[in-house]
Amino acid sequence: MIEFRRISYDAVQVGEQFTSNDLVVKPEDLDTFAYAVDDHHPWYFEDSPFGGPIVHPTLLANQALMMRHNKFVVDAGLHAAMQFEFIEPIRVGMRVRTRGKVVDKYEKRGRHYMVTEFVTTEEDTGQILLRGQFTQMFFPD
Amino acid sequence: MSLVAQQTIAIDQDLPSIDKPISQRQIDCYSGVRPRSIHTDPEWARKKGFAAPLAQGMMSSAYVSQMMVALLGEGFVKGGKMNVKFIKPVLAGDTLTMHGRVREKQPEGERTRVVVEFWCENQDGIKTMVGEASGLASS
Repeated sequence: MIEFRRISYDAVQVGEQFTSNDLVVKPEDLDTFAYAVDDHHPWYFEDSPFGGPIVHPTLLANQALMMRHNKFVVDAGLHAAMQFEFIEPIRVGMRVRTRGKVVDKYEKRGRHYMVTEFVTTEEDTGQILLRGQFTQMFFPD
Repeated sequence: MSLVAQQTIAIDQDLPSIDKPISQRQIDCYSGVRPRSIHTDPEWARKKGFAAPLAQGMMSSAYVSQMMVALLGEGFVKGGKMNVKFIKPVLAGDTLTMHGRVREKQPEGERTRVVVEFWCENQDGIKTMVGEASGLASS
């Protein structure tokens, strides 16, 4: 059983590992994302050059960000930076999971930050779909 | 994979801008509604010092993706990269405009990596996000 702690600069350690929940990418996930970002490209709904529809390349970004919520209570944080590398197209029906690790934490101009690397894979094949890194600023109390 | 020919893309070429009015309902869909969230709980956002709930920075990265897919198609979906800095908060009710300009073309094996500088401005002309994205074109 997980004992959740409130996230803070002191509570997070470099090297700490995170794992997301499994997610089966569903048609409704695609519809919701398309509405939220107002991007209705036909490759996401009809056919694509990859053979059949794909989903928005950044659709799984929140799975990476939400990994921390499986260990910590995260009331608020400001997203400072994000890096992506898109390896393979993502499709509806894939079962995907993101794993990550805190690679740095630092103070800059009186504010505290944590840097997390992540890799998102299709669980049934082990294929890496995307990877990247995000930097979050801890919210002052 | 069928790639866009790099000869059709010019350095310093401005990409078509994209306007993005952002509603609270869109933020709710993106982030998922929950209490004590600066994205979907107006009272909590005010408590944290914001006049309105904030759009997640990641929403803006989706606009970059839209711009890059329009430019490079398959060469961004498979082989694309993005490096984003979120520099100002985006609030519910803001309208962002996404801009991009081709900065360089670099050989990458038998292909060409096209590098785009991008930035987002809100309705007051304030930059909210800057960065660089790239993807593959044919040589």
